[in-house]
Amino acid sequence: MNSQYALRCIGLTKSFNGKTAVDNLDLSVPTRQIFGLLGPNGSGKTTIIRMALGIYARDAGEVETLGSADPLEVRDRLGYLPEDRGLYPKMKVAEQLTFLGAIRGLPQREAKKRADAWLDRLGLADRAKSDTNELSKGMQQKIQFAASVLHDPELLVLDEPFTGLDPINTRLLKDLIIEQRDKGTTVVLSTHRMDQVEQMCESICLIHQGRAVLAGGLSEIKASYGETSVSLEYEGESGSLHGLAGVREVRDSGRTASLLLENTEASQDVLRQLVDRVRVRSFRLAEPTVEDIFLDKVGYVAPVDGDNGDGGNSGEAVP
Amino acid sequence: MKPAKVIAIARREYIARVRSKAFIITTLMVPGFMAFYAVIFPMMIRADVDVLRITVIDAGTGIGGALKTRLEEIESLPFQMQETENVRESEVEAVRQRFSDAVRNEEIDGYIVLIPNEETLARSQYYAGETGNIVIIETLEGAIETTILENWFAGEELERLRAVQRAGMETITVSASGEERGGFLVAYISTMILGMLLYMTVLMHGQQMAMAIVEEKNSRLVELIIGAVTATEYMIGKVLGVLGTGLTQLSIWLLMVAITILGILPGLAMGAAVAEFNLANVLDFRALAYFSIFFFLGYLMYATMFAAIGATCDNVQELQQAMIPAMMPMVLAFISTFYIMTNPNSFASQVLSFFPLFTPLTMFARVNVSEPPLWEVWLGIIVLVATVGLTIWGAAKVFRATILFHGKRPSFAELFRMARAAS
Repeated sequence: MNSQYALRCIGLTKSFNGKTAVDNLDLSVPTRQIFGLLGPNGSGKTTIIRMALGIYARDAGEVETLGSADPLEVRDRLGYLPEDRGLYPKMKVAEQLTFLGAIRGLPQREAKKRADAWLDRLGLADRAKSDTNELSKGMQQKIQFAASVLHDPELLVLDEPFTGLDPINTRLLKDLIIEQRDKGTTVVLSTHRMDQVEQMCESICLIHQGRAVLAGGLSEIKASYGETSVSLEYEGESGSLHGLAGVREVRDSGRTASLLLENTEASQDVLRQLVDRVRVRSFRLAEPTVEDIFLDKVGYVAPVDGDNGDGGNSGEAVP
Repeated sequence: MKPAKVIAIARREYIARVRSKAFIITTLMVPGFMAFYAVIFPMMIRADVDVLRITVIDAGTGIGGALKTRLEEIESLPFQMQETENVRESEVEAVRQRFSDAVRNEEIDGYIVLIPNEETLARSQYYAGETGNIVIIETLEGAIETTILENWFAGEELERLRAVQRAGMETITVSASGEERGGFLVAYISTMILGMLLYMTVLMHGQQMAMAIVEEKNSRLVELIIGAVTATEYMIGKVLGVLGTGLTQLSIWLLMVAITILGILPGLAMGAAVAEFNLANVLDFRALAYFSIFFFLGYLMYATMFAAIGATCDNVQELQQAMIPAMMPMVLAFISTFYIMTNPNSFASQVLSFFPLFTPLTMFARVNVSEPPLWEVWLGIIVLVATVGLTIWGAAKVFRATILFHGKRPSFAELFRMARAAS
C-alpha cells in the first residue's frame, strides 16, 4: 500500500453496451487534500467514482482505494455523496441520518448522537422529526452531505455537491468541505464547475471522454503554462479578436475576453496587434485559469450555467 | 456479514412497513371483518325480525297444536303463533289462498301447511314472504321433526330418543402419541386459519417490501445502500424487517382475539355456536407449536421470494406482472390442503408436503389431521429452511447483478442519462 495516495486507479476501463465510458484511465489522489475531478457532464466522472467505490465492477484495470484492491472491504471508511440524490421521502430526517450512518458501520446509538449533532450544526434541529420530503431541496442536500461524513470517512467522494444550492448554502458547503480536509480527510470533488476547482482543489485531473487529459498539482500545472493567460477588456467590433498571431485560444465575451497565449514572450506582440484592432481598456497577464487550461486541452469549454448542466449543455457537444 | 448492518436495514424496513397506511388499515380491518362475521352478522340475522307471526294449517295430521306450542316455547326466535287452522285436506287450497293474501297484506309473516302422509305422518310446507333466512327455516324444520317424533314415541321411549339426539358423536384422533378429542373440524378450521393469516400478512407486507426494493433500485438511494452494505446484508435485512412486521401484526390480532374471548364472548353468550367450538380442543399445544413453526417459516419463505422478485424487476409494472405467478403456488397449496386433509398420508400428500412452496400449508395440514412420521415433518422443516437460505442467496446475487455491481443492465435512469449525453 502506498499511503501517499487515498485512491489510485490504473488502466481503469468501463463500457456500457459497447459505448466506452471510461477508457484506460490512470488517477492518483494524494491524501489529505481536496482533489478535483473535473470534466463536462457525461465525461465519465461518475462512472470512475462508482468503480473506485466498488459500486460498479470494472471491465479492466485496477483500483486501490485506501490501500485496498477491493473498495468494498474498506466501505466503512468511505463517504459518498452521489450525484443523483436520493433519500427515503417518508422517513423522518433524524432517523434517515441515523440509518445512513448505521449502514456505514456506526453503532445505532452513536449514529443517533452524531445525527442530532449534525442537524444542530446545519440549523435543522427543529426538522429532525419532519418527513424528509417536507424539506426543501437545499435542506435535503445538506442532510445528504451530513450523511456522507457522519461516520468520519477517510476518503470522501462528492459528486457535483453544489448542484442546486443557493449562494449561501454553497458557501456553507464549501466551508464544511474544507473543514473535512483540515481534519485530515481526503476529498474527491467531482464537478464540471471550473471555478469551484480553481477555488478549492490542490490537485486536479481533467477528464474528457473517459480519458484523463491532464493531472497533477494545480499550481504546478499553472506554473508550467507560465503567464500565458490574458484578461482583456476592450471596445470594438465582434470578431476583431480572431486571427491574432501568438494566440492559441480566444474566449470572447463581447466586452471582455480571455486569451491563451502560445508563450509568455508573445504577450507584447499580442498587445500591439490588439491596439491596432480595438480600443484596449485593460490588459492583464496571469497564469491561466482552470478554464483556460481545459480549453487548451480539450478545445472547448462547456458553458457554466450555475446548475448541473442540464438543459442544452450535454457536455458531449464536441463539434 | 455484519449483523449490525442487517439490523439497521431491518429496522428501517420494519418502521417503514409498520407506519404505512396498509399496515394500519389491515391490522384494523381484518379483526373488523372477523367480528362482523362472528358477532354482528348472526346478530343481524336475528335482530332482523322483531316478531314472526305464523299460522299452522293442519289438514288432519293432528300435530298442529303440538307444533304451535313447541314454536311458542322457542326463545331464540320471536314466534308469535296465530290460531291453528284445522281444515280438511280437500279444503287446503282454498284456505291457503286466504292465508297467502294475508301474507301479501302483511297481516302474518308466514304459514305452515301440514298434510297427512302415511310414511312420515306429515308433509310440511312453509309459505312466507321471506324464505331466505336460514335460521328461521332450520328452526321450523327442527321443530316439525321433533313434533312428529314425539307424536310417535312416548314416555320412556321418548326420553331415550331425546338422549340419543343429545349424545351425537364424538370424534377422536388416534395417533402414535395417544388419542385426542376433536377432529376434522378443528383441524380443518385451524389449517384454514393458518393459510389465511399467512397469506394475508405475507402477501400484503411482502408485496410492499418488493415494491420498496424496486423503488430503491430506481432511486439513487441504492447507490448509497449498496456502497455501504453487501447485497446479502441488504436482502436479509429486508426480509427480517418484513418478518417483524408480520409478527407484530399477528401479535396484535392474537391480543385482540384473546381480549374478545376473555371479555366479550361470555357476555354475548353465543350459546350453541360457542359450545360446539370447544376452546380446549382449539388450544391444542402440539397444533399450536406446529402452527407457529409453519407460520414463521412459511412467512419467511414467501417474504424471501418476494424480495427475490423485487430484486429482478426494474419497475413497478414489471413487478406487478411478476407477482401473479408468484401467488400461484399459494393458491395451489391452499387447494391441495382439501385433498391432503382427507388423505393425509397418501403418496400424493407426501409429495405435496415436501414441495417447499407448498410445505408450510400442506405439511401443517398433514400434521393437523394425522401424525405423519416425525422425520417427515422435520425433513419438511429442513427443506423450508434450506429454501429460505437458497432464495436469499439467489436474490442477493440477482440484486447485485441487475443493479450496479456488474452494470450489465443499467437502470432506466442511467440509460436515459447516457442517451442524453450521447445526443
